[in-house]
Amino acid sequence: MTGSSALRLDRVRKDFGPVTAVQEMTLDIAPGQLVALLGPSGCGKTTTLRMVAGFETPSAGRIVIGDRDVTDLPPHRRNLGMVFQNYSLFPHRTVAENIAFGLRMAGRSRAEQRDAVARMLDLVQLGDRGDMYPRQLSGGQQQRIALARSLVLDPRVLLLDEPLGALDKALRESMQFEIRAMQQRLGITTLLVTHDQEEAMTMADQIAVMQSGRVLQIGAPAAVYNRPESRFVAEFLGTSNIFDGRVRPSGQEIEADGVTIRLPRAASPGAQVSVSVRPERIVIGEAAHALPNRMRARLADRVFRGTHETFRFEIGPAARQVHAHRQAGTGPAGVAGRPQEDCWIGWDTADSVIVTVNDR
Amino acid sequence: MSPTRAPHAPARRPLPGWLLVLPAVLFLCAFFVLPLIGNAARSFEGADGGFTLLRYLVLLGDRFNLGVIAETVALSSVVTVICAVIGYPVAYYLVRHAGRFGGVIIFLLIAPLLTSIIMRTYGWQVLFARRGLVNNFLVQDLGLLDRPLQLLNTPGIAIVALVHVLVPYMVLSIATVLQGIDQRLEEGAQMLGASPWRTFREVTLPLSADGIGTGAILVFMIANGSFVTLVLLGGGFQTLPLLIYQQFTTTRDFGMASAMSVVLLVIALACLYLQLRLVRRQGV
Repeated sequence: MTGSSALRLDRVRKDFGPVTAVQEMTLDIAPGQLVALLGPSGCGKTTTLRMVAGFETPSAGRIVIGDRDVTDLPPHRRNLGMVFQNYSLFPHRTVAENIAFGLRMAGRSRAEQRDAVARMLDLVQLGDRGDMYPRQLSGGQQQRIALARSLVLDPRVLLLDEPLGALDKALRESMQFEIRAMQQRLGITTLLVTHDQEEAMTMADQIAVMQSGRVLQIGAPAAVYNRPESRFVAEFLGTSNIFDGRVRPSGQEIEADGVTIRLPRAASPGAQVSVSVRPERIVIGEAAHALPNRMRARLADRVFRGTHETFRFEIGPAARQVHAHRQAGTGPAGVAGRPQEDCWIGWDTADSVIVTVNDR
Repeated sequence: MSPTRAPHAPARRPLPGWLLVLPAVLFLCAFFVLPLIGNAARSFEGADGGFTLLRYLVLLGDRFNLGVIAETVALSSVVTVICAVIGYPVAYYLVRHAGRFGGVIIFLLIAPLLTSIIMRTYGWQVLFARRGLVNNFLVQDLGLLDRPLQLLNTPGIAIVALVHVLVPYMVLSIATVLQGIDQRLEEGAQMLGASPWRTFREVTLPLSADGIGTGAILVFMIANGSFVTLVLLGGGFQTLPLLIYQQFTTTRDFGMASAMSVVLLVIALACLYLQLRLVRRQGV
């Protein structure tokens, strides 16, 4: 493997008794990158993070940080920073003492501790809170202090374990940008664990979608979102319309629940194929007339959701549901939006993706 | 909530809450508070029926009596320290490592408390008598000693017996607080370079100080007032409860006995006050 990665997991596996939590995972993080492990609970993302931190020992495989194999090092010798979901600030110590903790463990002088604490408090814009106790701060402030505490020793890798999970939605969003900006400014290699796809997409250079202890797909947020390779990724990251069917003899289309769907690329005839289309790629009304891949649909439902409107259509003899998003305020031409109204919908085949192909 | 009430049910006023505790309060007044007041009053009652502080002047001005108070406090302190040293590891194991065996351990812990104090004390006598199990083993089976040891009626055996019965209070007090400590705090400390031992000293121990404090005050207060154990096993020292017993049975100076018990009560109240202060200060 290349020697340029800041953090490398080399075929790491973790068994808990008969259960395998993480299976043969290989991951390379380039210096300064932020990689998000994204998946539902129980997918192995937290176990992976805890193995990097040193709280769990891999059943097999190696963990390398920089050019040093840390697999057998205890957590306190790994020089990593970590931020926990519930902040984990020491309640019996002031904010300044919390930040200075790592420096004190490292045996730095008092003057050095004082300077570093002041510098970190400035970094997180809480310069005047040094003498307060954690419980006197708001959740967002506590999380900033936790971040400052974890960064004070210039760790080689920063680990974020659901760092914003305890915050309310508005604060969570602003903190996503704030932490991302700080991470980029400091150029610190970061591993983020989250089940929140928005958080992963906002903060990460690379998203690794995990399921059942495996990384299903890894790539830049836009690439993973637009080109999901598996049905799970298509459905977990955002929402998707998924059409399952057998490939017709032409190799160009499938029949799904009595509706003909054109494929984005040729597939072997007779194969079972799933096609994924994002709701925002679906074209409604007059605009769909020119598309080769179009179909009649009945409007079942229309819901206003702030930034966009969701249309729920039924197509074909089986009344299969199709979801479509439109930016709010840009009603589709040629559709009145009445319940049970019949209209055309369609999409550019380039906007659809074939996921999980099973050749027979 | 009125909307949930059945439409035609007669509206019944709930009993006021204080009515429920009334029987217990009356019982405690009759058999605890009133005798206690009577006892305190007796200690201040002069020979002519007037008010006097004479007994307290005698009690606290006498070298022997002060020595007894000091020995009482010393014995309780030693018992408390031993309980803390033995109890902390047990509590730690109980909370962090026992898992599903936690219930069994708790049962084993409180089992001594379920045994009658008389039975327990005679048990110690059987073990440590001149011809008891321990001496027989040392003299006859191992041949280590020529003559049996004097084990009963020493401060040592009294301390062992008190620790045996009081250590559960310490363990349970510490375990309750340890249970509430988020282990991520310890993990956070380790991520910042603290070794496991340093983590314990810097995070776990200070955060569980509350439990040690509560346990210590409980153990100290109970040891201070312990009587049966010391009468049957003790020797070579004198404590306040033993002295009170003597005042009642031998000297028959009831007024003096009352004054001594008031002093004992004041020590207990001082402990309670300390505990309240401690808990409030820690209030994290």
